[in-house]
Amino acid sequence: MLPLALVFVWQTWGVITGNPRTPVPTRVVAAALQLIESGELPLAIVQSLGRVFAGFAIAALLAIPLGLAMGSFRRVERNVDPLVESFRPIAAIAILPLAILWLGTGTPAAVLIVAYAAFFPIVVNTVAGAKRISPTLLRAAATMGLNRFKVIRTVVVPGALPSIGVGLRIAMGVAWTAIVAAELAVGAKAGGGGSGGIGQMMFVFYAYSIELNRIVVCMIAVGLVALALDRLLRGGLRFFMPWMAR
Amino acid sequence: MSEAIKLRLENIGKRFDVAGAARTIAVQDFTLDVAQGEFLVIVGPSGCGKTTVLNMLAGLELPTTGTVSLNGRRITGPGPERGVMFQDYALFPWHTVWGNVEFGLRHGPAGDGLDAAARERRVRSHIDLVGLSGSEGKYPHQLSGGMRQRVALARLMANEPAVLLMDEPLAALDAQTRIILQEELLRIWGQDRPSAERRTVVFITHAIDEAVFLADRVAVMTTHPGRLKAVIDVPLPRPRDDATRAQSQFQALSQHIWGLIRDEAYRATVT
Amino acid sequence: MAISSSSRFGTVIAYVRTMAVFIAVWWAVSVWTSNLVLLPTPFAVIEAIVDLARDLELFVQAGISLGRMMISLALASLLAIPLGLLMGLRRTLDDIVDPVIELLRPISGIAWIPLALFIFGIGNALPIFIMTYAAFFPILLGTVAGVRGVDRGLIDAARTMGVPRRTIVTRVVVPAALPSLLVAVRLGVASSWTAVVAAELIGAPSGLGYAVEWYRELLMTPQVMAFIAMIGVLGYLTDTSLRALAQRFTPWAADARRM
Repeated sequence: MLPLALVFVWQTWGVITGNPRTPVPTRVVAAALQLIESGELPLAIVQSLGRVFAGFAIAALLAIPLGLAMGSFRRVERNVDPLVESFRPIAAIAILPLAILWLGTGTPAAVLIVAYAAFFPIVVNTVAGAKRISPTLLRAAATMGLNRFKVIRTVVVPGALPSIGVGLRIAMGVAWTAIVAAELAVGAKAGGGGSGGIGQMMFVFYAYSIELNRIVVCMIAVGLVALALDRLLRGGLRFFMPWMAR
Repeated sequence: MSEAIKLRLENIGKRFDVAGAARTIAVQDFTLDVAQGEFLVIVGPSGCGKTTVLNMLAGLELPTTGTVSLNGRRITGPGPERGVMFQDYALFPWHTVWGNVEFGLRHGPAGDGLDAAARERRVRSHIDLVGLSGSEGKYPHQLSGGMRQRVALARLMANEPAVLLMDEPLAALDAQTRIILQEELLRIWGQDRPSAERRTVVFITHAIDEAVFLADRVAVMTTHPGRLKAVIDVPLPRPRDDATRAQSQFQALSQHIWGLIRDEAYRATVT
Repeated sequence: MAISSSSRFGTVIAYVRTMAVFIAVWWAVSVWTSNLVLLPTPFAVIEAIVDLARDLELFVQAGISLGRMMISLALASLLAIPLGLLMGLRRTLDDIVDPVIELLRPISGIAWIPLALFIFGIGNALPIFIMTYAAFFPILLGTVAGVRGVDRGLIDAARTMGVPRRTIVTRVVVPAALPSLLVAVRLGVASSWTAVVAAELIGAPSGLGYAVEWYRELLMTPQVMAFIAMIGVLGYLTDTSLRALAQRFTPWAADARRM
């Protein structure tokens, strides 16, 4: 198994280098246990997750209805799409300085960044999902006497759910990356007095205590949380949409 | 039969082991000889294993039991002497018509010994043969379904195979194009030449009228597992054309074959 | 996709109209809050853009960021495409390498910044490392998927023509996978362009991300917005030009989905 072999090589290299500060698997594990026991790591993760969920929820609540409207009404799409497409290439992290300017270096700015980042994948995929509904299906519903809004509720929404699900999954990944980046940047600017979260903790370990092992612990934690979030979301989506093919 | 036997399928069986599910027996106890220069059509309901039989003739799959042989030699893999025409054309989208027809000559053994000029001549003659002169520079996505099928045919024939294996090549076309291409196919095959000079064709379809129109003999398959039910001679005179379809013998043969398949086909729609 | 000229004109009109409304609302709000640091007027931003363009600073920083992205893209492609081809062709290799990929991928390029800062320090190497890392995974995974997704029928067709296996790889698999490969590269570019801002904001002495932060610290918001707009414009242009390139080289690729 390649991963185990690489870990083994890494350990040997670290031992050979001799520097006690070099991150090696054994020290990383030790640091991890330390951080978990002291509660620092769980706290940081919870802080970051809180922001992610808040921002994600805000984005979904705005993006899904908007996306459905855009996908169902040509007029809406034509008028709103220029705005969406103009801002979509601007990554959330680029907006961070503006967010800090407006809301300070605390949680509100972080949530804004996450919401901004999560917004676009959800909108784009919702629109695609709504548009992809076969026009024949729509016509069938119309011939059964359903008005426009009823059609949207009973045909478009369920039909678009798989695409919305895809958008949500992408958005979750983007949101998690965005919060880490935002907290990292805030940590870099605000120093140790910032507002917590795993990104900021990572930066503190870099800039102030030069605890490389702890940095690696944080990196691994970031990866594990990303995986967990994706799994959770996938499971949740499957629960609500058992008809969706894998 | 008096002509030489080109292809022989002896007691062929094909079993697929699908992970998790029970083993599927696609074909069982299938024995058939194909004569040199013969146009043999295999008909049967959907899922009866016709494509599997063709794949075994092509060498894309190997039989689980029994042997498949060409000119007495066992078939162990694909090769240009048994050219295949696929249902979805399988044209290379990044090549023009010319590039597609040339492909087998350029990169395969069929082109060994041909210099560039000879290759060019052969490609040109086959493009002309299928009636696509003037479209050499077009890409497949710019062509209609009927044109794409002609390209596939030209590509196949440019390798000068001894045997043509065709898997429902006209299935994706509309009814009118189909009728035209059926006649084109017979023309290109050389239906008015003696059988010793013609290529051997094994053609798969589920359309009975198509089978009777094209074939010298029709092999009828049953379904689940695929077995050979009957082999019907089609003694209609060649060359065949629109008038052939109106003949009473044509109707009689079609009815007869349908009678053989009918129950199977019905069951296939209900299960 | 053929759009009728009247419909395209209609789209342009709608675009102009929407942006005009947006700018009008923006102007109204900025006048109402009348805090030019918090929300400058659209005209202040336009003025800033013109100034920055005139003394070329806008373009210099843009050039630096773009240059880094191109280097990163080249590096990531050089690593990911051959590896992806091999992994797509050989199941065994894929089984061995894939676990490593799947373990590293969730650790976003941005999470590497502190460690990378320690290794590379502030400078050019840091953004390039982060951006290469960010582009690597989409390109790799897209290449593998592209190779795997090659129409089986095309390979069978070549086999029935007696084409030898190695020629099938070079003359069938690679061209057939090309459209997917180009899509993968586009995703890699998008990924690395996102990372450029984060990397430069934190760990580089130049570039668009750095400029954004620099002007924020000086509380010169119009300039901040000018650079943010530049980031967006360049992101859009790179994606559009790659899509045009893909259209030019693989015109048969029917899939023109908006990613």
